[in-house]
This record gives sequence, structure tokens and C-alpha cells, in this order.
Amino acid sequence: MSKRLLNALEYPQADSLNLNDPLTFKKIVVWLESNKIKNAPANTFNALKNINSREWDIVYDKYKDSLGCPALGSRVEELQWLLGHAVQITSSLNRNLYLKYATENMETSNVPVIVAENPLDKLNFRSKEFTDGINDLAKILKIVPHPDPLVTLRAVRKLITKRMAPDCVENPQKYIVNGTPYPIQEAPLGFDLHDPVLNNAANILRMLYIHDLRELQTKANELIVAAQSVTANPKTDTKLGKVGF
Amino acid sequence: MVVRQYQEELQYLEKISPYSWRIKKGFQPNMNVEGIFYVNQKLEKLMLDELRNACRPGMVGGFLPGVKQIANVAALPGIVGRSVGLPDVHSGYGFAIGNMAAFDVNNPESIVSPGGVGFDINCGVRLLRTNLFEQDVMPVKEHLAQSLFDHIPVGVGSKGIIPMNAKDLEEALEMGMDWSLREGYIWAEDKEHCEEYGRMLNADPAKVSMRAKKRGLPQLGTLGAGNHYAEIQVVDEIFDKWSACKMGIEEKGQICVMIHSGSRGFGHQVATDALVQMEKAMKRDNIETNDRQLACARINSAEGQDYLKSMAAAANFAWVNRSSMTFLSRQAFAKQFHMTPDDLDMHVIYDVSHNIAKVEEHIVDGKPKTLLVHRKGSTRAFPPHHPLIPVDYQVTGQPVLIGGTMGTCSYVLTGTEQGMLETFGSTCHGAGRALSRAKSRRNLDYTDVLRKLEYMGISIRVASPKLVMEEAPESYKNVTDVVDTCHAAGISKKCIKLRPIAVIKG
Repeated sequence: MSKRLLNALEYPQADSLNLNDPLTFKKIVVWLESNKIKNAPANTFNALKNINSREWDIVYDKYKDSLGCPALGSRVEELQWLLGHAVQITSSLNRNLYLKYATENMETSNVPVIVAENPLDKLNFRSKEFTDGINDLAKILKIVPHPDPLVTLRAVRKLITKRMAPDCVENPQKYIVNGTPYPIQEAPLGFDLHDPVLNNAANILRMLYIHDLRELQTKANELIVAAQSVTANPKTDTKLGKVGF
Repeated sequence: MVVRQYQEELQYLEKISPYSWRIKKGFQPNMNVEGIFYVNQKLEKLMLDELRNACRPGMVGGFLPGVKQIANVAALPGIVGRSVGLPDVHSGYGFAIGNMAAFDVNNPESIVSPGGVGFDINCGVRLLRTNLFEQDVMPVKEHLAQSLFDHIPVGVGSKGIIPMNAKDLEEALEMGMDWSLREGYIWAEDKEHCEEYGRMLNADPAKVSMRAKKRGLPQLGTLGAGNHYAEIQVVDEIFDKWSACKMGIEEKGQICVMIHSGSRGFGHQVATDALVQMEKAMKRDNIETNDRQLACARINSAEGQDYLKSMAAAANFAWVNRSSMTFLSRQAFAKQFHMTPDDLDMHVIYDVSHNIAKVEEHIVDGKPKTLLVHRKGSTRAFPPHHPLIPVDYQVTGQPVLIGGTMGTCSYVLTGTEQGMLETFGSTCHGAGRALSRAKSRRNLDYTDVLRKLEYMGISIRVASPKLVMEEAPESYKNVTDVVDTCHAAGISKKCIKLRPIAVIKG
């Protein structure tokens, strides 16, 4: 995964790297800071560039804290987080470009957009306080934090509303779906991305989409049944029937 | 019509794979595209014999051979891709039965033809599952068959037992299965598991003649005659465990109910009325066809649009009809087993239409195109993840229900990606006739046919036994050959085989 992110960020020769090598790790951190993140003050950046220094780890710890990286178990996880952070910065730089396509899509779908006033919108989602709070919450719930705290928050919300409702805690078997296993790996995807990992990811997206669709269909069915309770009045009259000639 | 010797005709046919033949341009005059038909060795012989017979001197009258009809369809204006003959293809009115042809909606020359849909508009098959097994049903089989026969009116001139007045009919024509839902005859899940969700939105009852409505009103909720039937079937073999599981079929021996019916006299009248209109439109717009039976009109002409709207109303009629029979079958089972249909898990697995024309999006030569796809004796078979198939079948592909002949077996297939590319997502629909009705009546004796079914342990209830030989297995191609050809050619995939234990017929 990290290599994919490195590739996406156009890091030279990302495929042949050994990410467990401390020197490589340091080089990547310096490269990320100088090319993508560009957040450190000059003195920190210079200290980071000096990768042979004994002080490097101390400088690095300070640097990553300053970026808001939560406490993670290993360097590899931290690297993952840093890469995610860098991808996010890069994509927010291209935000206008993406927005252009998104609005084009929206215009073609021709759905009226309703914007509701929400007091929570006035919160500062980028503040350190907010980020730390979300990350702590995620840690308690055993959710892997995403570099964007809002995404983490969404995951937290999903888990709480789905699995922590009083009724669900009391009767978990009512909510935890006990489906029959299905070999999705063998199911035809309908296209080929020429990469087993990407195909797998696409397959997972497909399953999530189907899951959403099922939920929507169930709601539609419930609505029909509710309407039926008012309109339905099935009748048969055998006197009318005539079989054959 | 070109007159050639059989050997000369063969020059235009080329076997391109073990399961398909190409019909080259020139086989019939003015072909815009090539034709293709799917056959295995046995079906190939039937196909070519039919052509050879037609080439004999003095053979006039009757329908043209199937291959010729496929080629004539390839000569219609606006056709794209290929004119496709499925393995069960046999001669019909204008179009062969088992023929798929698609026309580009955005080409102003493109046509719609009632002959490409057939007279029994939206004739189709519906399959209900139950949680019963063979051993539960065997002891009460005769009772159950009688009970079904008492509940479902069958035969020519039969009348339905669901009270309907003219206003109800108008609403049903417009709403399709939504009408059955509103009135409480069916379940919400039935609609979910039906092609088009059981309702063609462009239906307009105002475009339907009074005569059609008069014929249709008393017939709603009746099975009809001919090849239509309701069968109690047993799961005989499961080829694709996972797809079967998605359909709620877990094991061999599980009991299902198959209903094969259409739009009765209503659809027939709609088609007849349209043919009259189209002959006029052809003269006015100078549309030339190779066969008078291929009467058609431009899609965008008033006649074309009127036909599509009335055809949609007839399609809705057929769905309401199958829904009413679903209701009656559930009642029959509930009474017999003293359980509610819910407890018997009598869900609709799927409902297919095999006589219909629909507007669909397809990829033609790498570009997306809007096509009017005529499927006559051909079933839609969309691949996994197609947006128009129910969410429950997104990973398996659309279930395709293939009704066999009385006393043989039926199949459930699933749609494939290859079928989407080669045949615009179409596959076979049943066994396909081998002998004409008249020939069956001459060659077979009805008592023999009934005795044979009894010998096979199949209970039968039939309204007009003297016509039963028309539907005898001997009159049809072997459904297993047909299905195996579709499977081997890759245009659909075998999933479940079912065998009948009781048959209700017109």
C-alpha cells in the first residue's frame, strides 16, 4: 500500500524500495517534506536533511507531531500516515480541477441540491484540538485513523450509530448480519485493471455499493408494504371462473 | 425471393466456431448486416434439413425456413450488430421464433416490427421457490395438482376469478405489477425480482383498441392454452452452487413452481391491430422488406410510437396476469399445507419476458448506443453488475428461466459478459418447436402422450386433452441441447436444472 502511495506521489523507483530500511525511511521523509508537505520551518527542515545525525530521531518525532500524526505503533505505520497526509495535500492543491469534474457530473445528473444550515459547520475541523479528540476517540474504538480527521469522524459515527445503539448492544444478533459466505474473488468483476490488488479493491467497492443498494431496495420494499396496508384488498370470486371450453 | 439449389445456398453459410454459423450477406437480398445462429451438431442438422426441404422444387406456402427468416431480418432498415438466431430458433410469423434483432434508435430509418415481438406480447416465465422438498410433496402430489388446477383457470376461453371491471383493466394496463401490488395480490419482493420491475413506464392504454380490451378483460388471471403451463418442479441438478444459493436454492429436491404465460387474447389483438396500421405506414414511408410478414414502421413515426405504447400496455397485462397466477398458486399451496405462503418461503426467484422489444443501452463497435432490442422467443440475459438487474443478482448475473416442454425439464441460466457483447445480452427461451402443430396432431396420439407422462410419474391436469400432442416432447427440440449450446457458446451459463412432477395445462 505504501508503495502505491509513493508511486501516486511520483517518488522515484518506488517499487524497488525496502521500506523497513531506516535510511530509506529517512530519505522518504526528507523527500516528502521538500516536495509535497512543505510545512517545516527552515531549521527543522535542515536538521531533517542531515540524515546521518544522531539527533535525527528527535527532530523527526517533533516534526511528525507538528503535522498532527497520532501516536502509532511503528515507523511503517507512521510512514503510511505521512504518505496519506502528502496525498491529501497534493489532492487539495488540485481541488479546483477535481471540483470542475464533480460539478460537471452533478450538472449532468440534474438533481437539485439542498443546502441546510448546520451549526456544526462553523466548527474548526482543522484545529489540533479537534484532530486530537477524533484520534483519541478512534483509538478507543479501535478504528485506524485517516489523515483527514473528518473521514475518521465519519467512520466513528458509522460504528457508533450501527453497533452502539442500546437495542444493538442488547440484541447484537438482530443487527450483526449473519450472511452466507460467497466467493467474491471468483465473481466476475466485469472489467480488468491489470493489477490483482486494484482488482481486489474494485471488487470491495462493488460489494460496498451492492450493500448500499440492498439497503435502499429494502427501504423501498418497506415503503410499498406500508402503502399496501392502506390500499390492499385482494379478492377472488370463484363463481366468475371458467376452465377450458 | 432468390431461388437457388441447396448446395448454392450453403455457400453463404459458414461455420465459425463449434457452436455458431455465420450467414453471409447475399444469402437474402439487401442484407444490411450479417446473421449468426448458434447450434450444436444435433440442432445444426435440424436447421439445415429445414433449409434443404425448402429448396426442394414445389415447396411453397407455409413459413420460410428459420435461416432465411434470420437473413430477412438482417435486411431491415436500421439494424445494428447482427441478426441473431438462438439455438431454439424455428420459423414464425415474419421473424423466426428465437431471433434477436437490435435497431439504432437514433437512426431515423430504424424500424419497429410487431413480428419481431410476436403475437403473445410479453409471454414469459416466472419461477417461485418454496422451502418444501420432494418428500413433502410426493404424498399429496395429486391433491396439489388438482388444487392448482382448481385455482388457476386454464384453456382456450377460460375466465379469471379475480373480479375486474373496465376501470380496473385500464389501471392495470398502465401500472402493470404496481396495480397487483396496490390491490394486495403480490409482495413487494415480487416486483423487485421481475424484469423492468413489472411495469413498462411508456404504456398508454389509450392507444389500445376497444376490441383488445374487451378480449382481455375476462382473461386476466388465466393461464391460456398452447404451450403455456404451470408446473410443480423439483430441483434436479445444481451446476452453479453459489448462484443457486443467491436464488434461494440450496439443495437438490427443493420444490419450485414455474408459470409460463403471456398476455392472452389482449396481446394478440394489440399485435393484429398494429400490423394493419404498419402496412399503411410502410406504403407511405416507402419501407421495403423481403417478406410481407415483416410489416414494420419507423420507430419515430406515429405508428411506431403507438405500437410501442400499446405493446407496453400488453406487457403490463402479462405481468399482472402472471402476478394473479402467483397469488392463486400461493393460495393453493397455503391451503394444501395449512401454512402461509410466507412460511412456505414462496418468493419469486425471477420473471423473464421472452417476447418483447425494449430500449436498452449497448456498446456497438466500441461506442455506447441506444438500441431498440427485439427479442422474439429470446430471453434477456444481462451479465453481473448490470444496472438493470436486481441487487440480489448483481454478482451472479440475471437469472434466465428456460421453460422446457411438457414432461421434460426446465433450466435456470445466468447472463454473461460474453452474451452482452455477442448477442446484446440475449439467449434462448425454451425448447423451440421441431414439428408444426398440425404435423404433431397428425403424427401423435393424445392418449399415448398422456400415458407416457403418467409412466414418468408426472401428474397432469389438462383442459383440452385432445390438443396435448401439439405440446408433446416429440414436437419440440431437446431443451438440454438448446441450453448446452448456449452454455458452450458462452452466451449464458447453466445454473439449475428442474424436472416437473405435476403439470397444469390449457
